Amino acid sequence: MRLRALVRKEFLLMLRDPHALAVLFIMPTLFLVLMAGAMSNYLQDKPPALRLVLEATPNGSYEQAFRVALQAQLPGSELLAQGDARSARISLPADFSETLLDDERQGLALSFPPQLDKLSRQHLRGAVRIALAQTRLLAFLEDNGDLDASLPLAERLALVQQRTQSQIEERELLASGDLSGRANASQLSVPAWLIFGMFFVALPMAGGFQREQQSGALLRFRALDLSLATLALSKLLPYFAINLVQFALLLSIGVHGLPLLGLQGLSLPGSPAAYALLAISLGLATCGLGLLLAALARSAEQALLLGGGINIILAALGGIMVPKSVMPAAMGQLAEVSPMSWALDAFLTLLVGQGSLADIAPHCFRLLLMAALLGGGGWLLFRRRVQQTQWTND
Amino acid sequence: MLELSNIVHRYPGADIPALQGIDLQLQPGQCLGLLGSNGAGKTTLLSLLAGVLPLQQGEIRWDGERSLGLVPQQLAFYAELKVRENLELFADLYRLRGAERTRRLELCIASTALESKLQRRAARLSGGEQRRLNFAIGLLQPARLYLFDEATVGVDAASRQLLLGAVERLTGEGHAVIYTSHYLDEIERVAQRIVLLHEGRVRLDLDSRQLLGDSHGLLLEWQNGEPAGLRELLGKLHLSAETLPGGLRIAALDGPQLLEITRFLAERPELPHLLRFGRPSLEQLYLRLNGGRL
Repeated sequence: MRLRALVRKEFLLMLRDPHALAVLFIMPTLFLVLMAGAMSNYLQDKPPALRLVLEATPNGSYEQAFRVALQAQLPGSELLAQGDARSARISLPADFSETLLDDERQGLALSFPPQLDKLSRQHLRGAVRIALAQTRLLAFLEDNGDLDASLPLAERLALVQQRTQSQIEERELLASGDLSGRANASQLSVPAWLIFGMFFVALPMAGGFQREQQSGALLRFRALDLSLATLALSKLLPYFAINLVQFALLLSIGVHGLPLLGLQGLSLPGSPAAYALLAISLGLATCGLGLLLAALARSAEQALLLGGGINIILAALGGIMVPKSVMPAAMGQLAEVSPMSWALDAFLTLLVGQGSLADIAPHCFRLLLMAALLGGGGWLLFRRRVQQTQWTND
Repeated sequence: MLELSNIVHRYPGADIPALQGIDLQLQPGQCLGLLGSNGAGKTTLLSLLAGVLPLQQGEIRWDGERSLGLVPQQLAFYAELKVRENLELFADLYRLRGAERTRRLELCIASTALESKLQRRAARLSGGEQRRLNFAIGLLQPARLYLFDEATVGVDAASRQLLLGAVERLTGEGHAVIYTSHYLDEIERVAQRIVLLHEGRVRLDLDSRQLLGDSHGLLLEWQNGEPAGLRELLGKLHLSAETLPGGLRIAALDGPQLLEITRFLAERPELPHLLRFGRPSLEQLYLRLNGGRL
């Protein structure tokens, strides 16, 4: 009866605290959507469609072949004869066809507008190299008489492409390695900001305890002989439940909400049990941190500053704010100290690495170990704090 | 109902114990007004009774089960909960159920005149209304002993009368009360017994009627102590006197007795520097007994 009343009280207080609701639900949702949108070009699976200007002699024989070969490498992109300053530009030399097989030929030129991102540039460079190599091979085969130059261009290029086609077998070692580098924007943003938001339960949890102590409510509880276990559980249970709601809600936004905004939606491969294990491990870890913070802080303001500071540092270290794939090796190693990194690795193992419950078990074990250590330490300090509660402050 | 024997409590690092051998007894239906300046040991004593501090030395004996209601000085409720939600929460914590729960809730709400505020968030109540809610939460608890610690600070006059009436009802129903306040007129009204703590000891423990009395008393003080022969005169007049620092107090005397005493004093070489005849207020007594300290 007492525990149920205290848990109900925590929920009521939470629902009436707009700041806590904003920190727990609105902030991670906003971050999730904004960062998924901001990184959608940088971390996309498909190469981006481009608008290109190809400057070449209009009727040159191999200029035509180059154009067709390049278009085949850039599906969805437009090759224009003219364009504005915002378009990337490929300039073939005037004697492109004549000097194609010469050793000392003049090279072609690529011009990139400033706004063109790094991935598009790399993609364009690769496409131009392949198209140029195929055009040169076409010229070589025709020059040697190995290819009938009277055949239609499309047919001749198809023959060249057959000869240049590579059979490369790719094998993914799933559920291992640096998965953040292979994740798309949604696979990175959704779990990252979900984890960040879940860790923020420590703030209202600790702040509420401080207010309870300052108001004297804790004094009434002590005079009532309310057990410490009831008191601690009355904090842990509601915030653990809120963590589970955050987990489900933010994943749903990733799956169903992002596509509505024109962003790539999240798919959730793997077993539901694996997600459940991850949610429980993560929830227990954040509640353990919350209990420790509640015991350590001496005021609601201190809990806010301490909790916010710890969370931001853990997020910066743990690959939440900057993907670990772009971190230098030393920073990547340092990231391993952050529990947010453990949780993110578990998520990426499921989302990108197609991992199973067994694959994420080591990450979850670390989170549970953290929950036990911080929760255990928090419990001892919390007990001391409650016992130190004085009658009045004067 | 409650007996405290030789209670000693020393805070870590303190040279002098906060309480140095307190002996007290409290009966059902009795309201004990606890007085003392800051640091006298009131808070420590209340904390020990409430179980907030561990008992280091001495004994607290309850005649039956420990049963304690509490109205602290702090506004010990949840500002973002409505008045009714606060009361319901504490009713659950006090394990009140069924008809008893309904009865106590209605009684507490009526005693503190909060009927029209039940759906209002506690944070939006006036200062006096918040005090009343704090009071109501304490009264809601079924207990044999209630502790009130500066429970009426900042309360308007009308609300104070209401709350003091609630305390008087408690004692009338046979509950014991320990009441501390800096408003000594409140203690004068509700307490049947007054205990003055000074430097961790009981300096005075008297029935309030005995202390204040209905009849007129005489208070005398001298710079260099009372004159020789005064006690013999009082004996002849069948009067008893309580010794105070620098003087004495005669609880009740009539006109002829007063005349005899003043005649005797007028013939002495040193006249008293203070002579007050009349019905003293608790505040006057307290200031005098406590050396002018509040």
